[in-house]
Amino acid sequence: MTTETSYQPIVHDDRYILEVNELKKYFPIKGGLFGKTSRYVRAVDGITFNVERGTTMGLVGESGCGKTTVGRTILRLTDKTSGQVLFNGQEVHDLSKDELRRKRTEMQLIFQDPYSSLSPRLPIGEIIGEAVREHNLVPKKELADYIAKVMNECGLPGYYRDRYPHEFSGGQRQRICIARALALNPQFVVCDEPVSALDVSIQAQIINLLVDLQKERKLTYLFISHDLSVVEHISDTIGVMYLGNLVEYGKKEDIFSNPLHPYTRALFSAISIPDPNYKMNRIVLEGSIPSPANPPSGCKFHTRCSKCMEKCKHEAPVQKMIEPGHYVVCHLYDEEKGVEDGAATV
Amino acid sequence: MDNERKNDVSLNSDQRIKVLSPGMLVFKRFVRNRLAIVGVCCIGFMFLFSFLGGFLMPYGEAQVFTTYTEMLNDYAGVSRNTEFRYTLKDGKDFPLVARSQLVLARNNGETTFSSQGVDYSFTEVSETCLEVSAMQRVAEANSFGGSVVISGVDGFTVSAAFESAFTEAIESGADRFELDGVEYIVSGDKRVSGAYSSEPVALASYNVFDFASSSSTNNFDFQIAAETAAGEFDGEGSFEFGGETYMMSPDPDDDEVINITLGGELYAQMSDYIIQPIESDVFISLDMRRLIKECIADGVTTFTWEEDGVESEYSIVRSNDRWTIKRVQDTLVVDKYQFPSAEHPLGTDGNGMDLLTRIMYGGRISLMIGFIVVFIELLLGVILGGIAGYFGRWVDNLIMRIVDVFYCIPATPLLIILGSVMNGMRIDPQLRMIYLMLILGFLGWPSIARLVRGQILSLREQEFMVAAEATGLSVRRRIFRHLIPNVIPQLIVNATMSLGSVILTEATLSFLGIGVKYPFASWGNIINDVSDVYVMTNYLFVWIPAGFCILITVLGFNFIGDGLRDAFDPKMKR
Repeated sequence: MTTETSYQPIVHDDRYILEVNELKKYFPIKGGLFGKTSRYVRAVDGITFNVERGTTMGLVGESGCGKTTVGRTILRLTDKTSGQVLFNGQEVHDLSKDELRRKRTEMQLIFQDPYSSLSPRLPIGEIIGEAVREHNLVPKKELADYIAKVMNECGLPGYYRDRYPHEFSGGQRQRICIARALALNPQFVVCDEPVSALDVSIQAQIINLLVDLQKERKLTYLFISHDLSVVEHISDTIGVMYLGNLVEYGKKEDIFSNPLHPYTRALFSAISIPDPNYKMNRIVLEGSIPSPANPPSGCKFHTRCSKCMEKCKHEAPVQKMIEPGHYVVCHLYDEEKGVEDGAATV
Repeated sequence: MDNERKNDVSLNSDQRIKVLSPGMLVFKRFVRNRLAIVGVCCIGFMFLFSFLGGFLMPYGEAQVFTTYTEMLNDYAGVSRNTEFRYTLKDGKDFPLVARSQLVLARNNGETTFSSQGVDYSFTEVSETCLEVSAMQRVAEANSFGGSVVISGVDGFTVSAAFESAFTEAIESGADRFELDGVEYIVSGDKRVSGAYSSEPVALASYNVFDFASSSSTNNFDFQIAAETAAGEFDGEGSFEFGGETYMMSPDPDDDEVINITLGGELYAQMSDYIIQPIESDVFISLDMRRLIKECIADGVTTFTWEEDGVESEYSIVRSNDRWTIKRVQDTLVVDKYQFPSAEHPLGTDGNGMDLLTRIMYGGRISLMIGFIVVFIELLLGVILGGIAGYFGRWVDNLIMRIVDVFYCIPATPLLIILGSVMNGMRIDPQLRMIYLMLILGFLGWPSIARLVRGQILSLREQEFMVAAEATGLSVRRRIFRHLIPNVIPQLIVNATMSLGSVILTEATLSFLGIGVKYPFASWGNIINDVSDVYVMTNYLFVWIPAGFCILITVLGFNFIGDGLRDAFDPKMKR
């Protein structure tokens, strides 16, 4: 399988802190006696989006669709296969090891599992302050006060710094993770399902904490989640992923009020409304998500799509802007006018 | 400042909760484990016992204890002679086969016999002595109807005098004739007969000659003179030999013994007693021999004899027709298998060394070998396992295949073979100990390498490692601050457990004689002394203490290992 699909390089626009262009990440499947690469898992198969400074982009999609891989490839925790990742106009994957290490302070990651993401053998003050010391972000004398300050911002009393992770609850641990990320004073944070391991009341606390911190520090978030209500609460823009592709992407209001892609509609119909009189009109998808190692031809969603056309089976759709800042990848919108049910109006 | 802050907070504030590090938690859990504490006590005791005890004991590691004791040692054997004893003429040979042929011929009443192609004849010197001569055929006589033809053999020229003497002898039926002082023996029938020249080769006698001085020995010529004189002996006699006149007289104590005197001095004694010293370099003087003979004749069982100014006591023990002379003597004896006493609290072993001291020094060596071997295992295992786990790919593959190969090596046969090779090469015991540690270490690292590799593989994928990378920590810091501390618990448990098994292996090898060797002690080679059932059942103090030390030490290490494993297990409640 060749990976040198050509893409048009984009020019940096200073409004955007992050520009992702045709990003692909294929994982090789080694097989046979000599570990020959026989196939690839197309975890991320050419996605394009931009994140504006100081905003939050929500990335939703079902399990295994490549959300986490997108986050990690952007941070260069895994190497890309092709495409562009511009962070402040700088290609992240072109940085040398030393440059990357210095750049890491500017973009941080918050993990899904607050239990395995903290080393059990270090006190939390050390966990938070370790990288600060390593990067010489604050003078040595002020380090202790700085750590206490960051911990306070994240809702942790400063005297916790000598305690070890096993003494904390899940919510507190997630605060420690957030403190670790924010201690480096980043501009951009990838939040990889930061609340899905927590119970609902704690989720709200953490989300509000993230929102508050964003306001204080002018942070930009890439918020990865499969929980639509959380994403709706925190995001400015939303991207919907299906099997390695960004099927729809646009402002939160546009997407929620006018979902275009059949997958987005199916997804949003599953949001539960806390109202017993509300009749849910769920669109139930048939079958399960296909293997990214052997994706369907044409539009990857056509095997499960209720509006599947003959064209969808052979021809992959391209990203089209339907309204300003609202992009969709679907053959339904090939012509200027929607083929049916007027979804593409306005 | 800390105190001030404490005073500010309220009594139920969680700021007052004592903070425990994971290490402290492990320690607390460990201390609460009773078995583990027993193990620690065992090992601590063993350390004190071995390392301090060696200094306190007054004895050395390989000090052998000996004492002088009076022992009855065999001194000489005495028997009465009932067989011919042979005295050879100088330069002549009388083989064993011929000796038995002689006895046979004499019993059959013959005077000649042949053995291995040589013809022999013998004549009686006296009743108890025979002179044996080898015969050589010099002439042959063939008679045809009254006329005798005589021809020489082997270049012997037949003179007229010889011919007439030979013919006369044949005709008269004589078996020997003399010519010019040489005696010829005639043998054969009427028709064909031979004349033989004869040469004496040996004397066969029932008599035993004992000489007064160790420098004079028996010889053919002396003996034949003495035997001839003895044959005619009737209470008094004499013979000449070598220009001297020897007088013969019966011994005053024993009539059967004849004393031979030279110039009034006792020169030799003729009897049928054989007195043979047990050790070859001992000369038993004639006077002592006389005493022994007298004692035997009188039936006395003990006597004293002074030799070189030392008076010793002798006793005579009879068994059948043999007597054994035993001497009471001070002998240096190794104190082997001494039962426990104030001097040797645990007794002594089969080499006469103090067992308690040996066990102390053995403990040093066993513990040291245990620790060094485990250290080598850890060093190799952590480095190779760490490399395999961290770098992965072909490096991992290569190292793990090496590990697989090491797992396939049958350790016990290999150790036995290498031990025997070192035995064969006579390697210095100290060097050997080092080799033993190296070999055990080299055989033991694969399991640790596997453990470390597995741990690192699983830790590498943990999110806190990803977090460490995402926060831009250096590789060194990631390995040493995040990876290693998380591998160490398993390593400690594993190392503690393998300490016990290494000590066991070392003890086994030493027991088999292919581990630690004398003069160095180890618990294994102390038990090695128990090589038979007799020692095992009768000298319990030899092997029980050393065995007990091994048991306690291995048990201690295993208890500590178990305790550590439980303490490290985060699932255990505080």
